[in-house]
Amino acid sequence: MSYTDDTTTAAPPAGNRLRGRWPVVLWLWLLWIVLWGSVSPVVLVCGAVVALAVAVVFPLPPIGHRASVHPLGLVVMAGNMLADLVRSALVVAREAVLRGPRTRAAVLEVQLEADTDLLITATSHLVTLTPGTLVLEIDRVRRRLYVHALPVRDASQVPGRRAETSEDERRVVRALGTAEARERLLRRDGHAKGVRR
Amino acid sequence: MTRLAADGGAVVVATASAVLLLTGALFCLLGALGLLRFPDTASRLHASSKAQTLGVLLSLLGAALRVPLPYAGLLLLVALFQLFTVPVAGQVVGRVAYRTGAVDRSTLVVDELAGRLGPPDPEAAAEPDDTGNGSADEPEDGAGGGRRRES
Repeated sequence: MSYTDDTTTAAPPAGNRLRGRWPVVLWLWLLWIVLWGSVSPVVLVCGAVVALAVAVVFPLPPIGHRASVHPLGLVVMAGNMLADLVRSALVVAREAVLRGPRTRAAVLEVQLEADTDLLITATSHLVTLTPGTLVLEIDRVRRRLYVHALPVRDASQVPGRRAETSEDERRVVRALGTAEARERLLRRDGHAKGVRR
Repeated sequence: MTRLAADGGAVVVATASAVLLLTGALFCLLGALGLLRFPDTASRLHASSKAQTLGVLLSLLGAALRVPLPYAGLLLLVALFQLFTVPVAGQVVGRVAYRTGAVDRSTLVVDELAGRLGPPDPEAAAEPDDTGNGSADEPEDGAGGGRRRES
């Protein structure tokens, strides 16, 4: 395997299986309780058992120490996401009504700075969630997303659409990135500005 | 409706709920329209999985305003899971669509992915696959068996 990513590791030894995974267990347990809509002892116990079983049987690679959550960044990301969702739903709807079969799209390559599974996953998730852009491929090794963007009238709109995706990445890194990831991003932005001026 | 209207605040809530439900339904309709009118799978994905996401979110929000609080919480949970799962499904369908040729290349202004896909099974064709398809403008960066991707 030639994965260079740092978080896809072999399953941890049995003793470590639950360490660092308690937030998942807690989340599953709360979900179970909410879905049953009751706090009777049976529900509580069964929920705990199911949550533990899921965490043990389907272990996910731990991400805790790779991520650092920035509450303000998260709020900004969520707010922008909702705004984007509305704005671009309108754009796609307009395109469907006015142009329909004559619509034009583009597949763009976007180079990312983020280099952890979590950040790349979150970025492609965010990109796909906003209508108008859809991730077709992820090149994990070269850190590239291939994004299907709609609508794109002509080549002059390409840089703008590419920038939208980089903007999504920036928000994700600000919300979830480690200090190192933020630094890389700053360096790139600084570099880009230097080149432009 | 009449029972709710007895209370001033309830009128506001009922109106907001109705507006949200109708707007949500409108976006679902527009999504369906896009599904019918767009030319290929990838464009249809934009309309179906995402213009519709907004429709579903608005509808759930509108419904949440009209039901007792515990159920409203459940509806918001449904909305949250929509946000988490719809993009994943859209991404997988889009990936398959592109790889199986269900994306109509003639609708694309630019296609920067063209020729960049290695053979379907990178393990089988371990050696230089990029040179074969005319886009070897990149040095192999120690990626061994070509291009590994996660889906």
